[in-house]
Amino acid sequence: MESHHEWAAAGDDRAIRFTGNWREYLPIAATNALLIIVTLGIYRFWASARQRRYLWSRTHVIDDTLEWTGTGKEMFLGFLIVVAILAPFFLFIQFLFPALMARGKVEAAGGVFFLFELALVYLGGFARFRATRYRLSRTWWHGIRGGSDDPGWNFGGEYLGRYALVFVTLFIMFPWATTRLWNSRWSAMSFGPLKFRANLDAAGLKARWALIYAAPFAAMIVAFAVIAAVGINLEPASGPNPTLGGAFLVIVLLFYIAIPLATLHWYAKFFRNAASATRLGELEFEFDASTWDWLKLFLGNLALAVVTLGFGLTYWGYRNWSFMVRHTRIYGSVDLGDLTQSTTHAPREAEGFADAFDVGAI
Amino acid sequence: MIEGTLYDGATAHPHAVSVVVADGRLELRQDSGWSDNVEASVLKRMDAPAGLLRIGRTDSPGWRLMLPAAAEAELGPLLGRHERYGRWIDRIGLVPALVVGAAITVVVVGTGYIAPHWIAPHVPMSWERNVGTAIVGDFGELRCRDAKGQKALEDLVERVAPGATKGPDAIKVAALNVPIFNAAALPGGYIVVFKPAITETSPEALAGVMAHEIAHVRRRHVAEAMIREFGIGALIRLFAGNVGANAEQIVSLSYTRDNEAQADSDAIAMLKRAGISPKPTADLFTKLSKQQREIPGYGAEFLQSHPLSDKRAVKFAAAVDPHRRYEAALSRDDMDALFDICLPRKK
Repeated sequence: MESHHEWAAAGDDRAIRFTGNWREYLPIAATNALLIIVTLGIYRFWASARQRRYLWSRTHVIDDTLEWTGTGKEMFLGFLIVVAILAPFFLFIQFLFPALMARGKVEAAGGVFFLFELALVYLGGFARFRATRYRLSRTWWHGIRGGSDDPGWNFGGEYLGRYALVFVTLFIMFPWATTRLWNSRWSAMSFGPLKFRANLDAAGLKARWALIYAAPFAAMIVAFAVIAAVGINLEPASGPNPTLGGAFLVIVLLFYIAIPLATLHWYAKFFRNAASATRLGELEFEFDASTWDWLKLFLGNLALAVVTLGFGLTYWGYRNWSFMVRHTRIYGSVDLGDLTQSTTHAPREAEGFADAFDVGAI
Repeated sequence: MIEGTLYDGATAHPHAVSVVVADGRLELRQDSGWSDNVEASVLKRMDAPAGLLRIGRTDSPGWRLMLPAAAEAELGPLLGRHERYGRWIDRIGLVPALVVGAAITVVVVGTGYIAPHWIAPHVPMSWERNVGTAIVGDFGELRCRDAKGQKALEDLVERVAPGATKGPDAIKVAALNVPIFNAAALPGGYIVVFKPAITETSPEALAGVMAHEIAHVRRRHVAEAMIREFGIGALIRLFAGNVGANAEQIVSLSYTRDNEAQADSDAIAMLKRAGISPKPTADLFTKLSKQQREIPGYGAEFLQSHPLSDKRAVKFAAAVDPHRRYEAALSRDDMDALFDICLPRKK
């Protein structure tokens, strides 16, 4: 029996493909929404476990589907643990900050606020790491799971340090920071005995970052041009001026369109480069979603939610996951006999921290 | 005999096996001669796409047996039902779970919404005062400390609510040098007035505003708001995320509006007893509502914590008795002193 697989990169026999469809998912989406509403949101942990069980089981990798074994109960407990840790901290700050302000100790209040923010950044990085680790530990393929032996405390520190540098340099260092952090996080992860390796660098990302940097200025220049053009027609009339109002609208729209578009443009390239720079054993990855693809995804999500009066929100997770899978390619080979069970410790606290800080795992 | 594929959980290598169901257990066999028996009690269904039956074991994490979906007929009784919504809900059924869930939610929210109103009056004022003192302190540099002005401010409180600044539950009033037009009741019987509310109104209008805040303190609205915030407010925000935060805002605001209306009624009664005209307060609200209208986006009354000033103005204006001779809220000297409360201390 052959245990060594080689496979094509495209077509029906693509190494990774999504086989779900929205009609099949509808009963899950509908019942999840209902149960979340009647439980004041507590069911959302079980809802997300059901959603993932479906999505993973409809994600075909090479010759078998993925499998999600995380449970709603463990995610709920993880959340409670995090709340028990964070709640006293938040409550303390919530009292301390106004108490200092009310006593006129503005510097002390500022200092407390600063430390609070530092702690939040650290925990945010930690949360991201733990979410990735948790998800890999609950993802199975051929009876083998992923994971990490790194608890992520150091990653939190690195995250804090790099983002402090980003802040100090007025975000100029952002591409370097995010790419290094991607490498640190993924290089600590494994699947079975295979280690992930990532060597993403900022080359090729700087131009798009410069674009985000330039977008507000470009929008301002256009805005001034519009005002200058409109300004010639300005008459010293009393009352509000409709032309000026129109110009103002153009400016606001520019800011709301130019900056998000530039950001999307950056992330599209970031994920393409990140996938190409990441390996798992002999496997190589590719992600081919363009800025336009991402834009279609987000606009589609928005339109779906609006048209269905909010029910479409229950399909965002489905759409996002199938988007990621459809745009991912896997190349290379894996020796099934060598793909032995993971020896990593399976974490128990689920995604509590990530949930609390609202960060994703990818 | 059913042909299937087995992952043993040790490696990713798939093994071809044949399966026989016998005596409440599975007998697995391989061409190589390997065989194994698995008790039904450790078997569990796993998710699989259509056409496939995937079976796991509770005692062996990576163990997976994949059989054609047709095997369901033979193995179904051994495996029991597939977990769908979660164990509790599967046990009682989806519809009963929805009904029970909805009923519990209504009770919890209803209690969290109404209970603070009944609990607040029974919370000892000393507790509220401890919380208030911890938060408020002495306001440091922000506080306006002119002694004569402070006396005038306290006189104004005494004027609308005789005895309010004395005794164990005394109301403590402070003027703050903050350039916002506002006044607020804080936990522990503290009332703060910001500078523009003193310098840009008449003492009579300020008396109306103070009476409103005094009513909040006396009706224990502050304690009530705190209990609600730390009770149902925290609960909803904890579990429901953003959607819930908006829902919670609507709940807490509509409730505050009841209290606001009550504080207005109390204030009108206090002004009446003190012989101060409600007219200047009404004028103040008219002015504030006009300013609000000039800032776009202040539209819906529904989402505002204070009833729109227009409506409040009407309420205060309606309370004016045209046949009554009203008195000034403060003497000329007190008025001057109050006006200068935030000036640097005179030598």
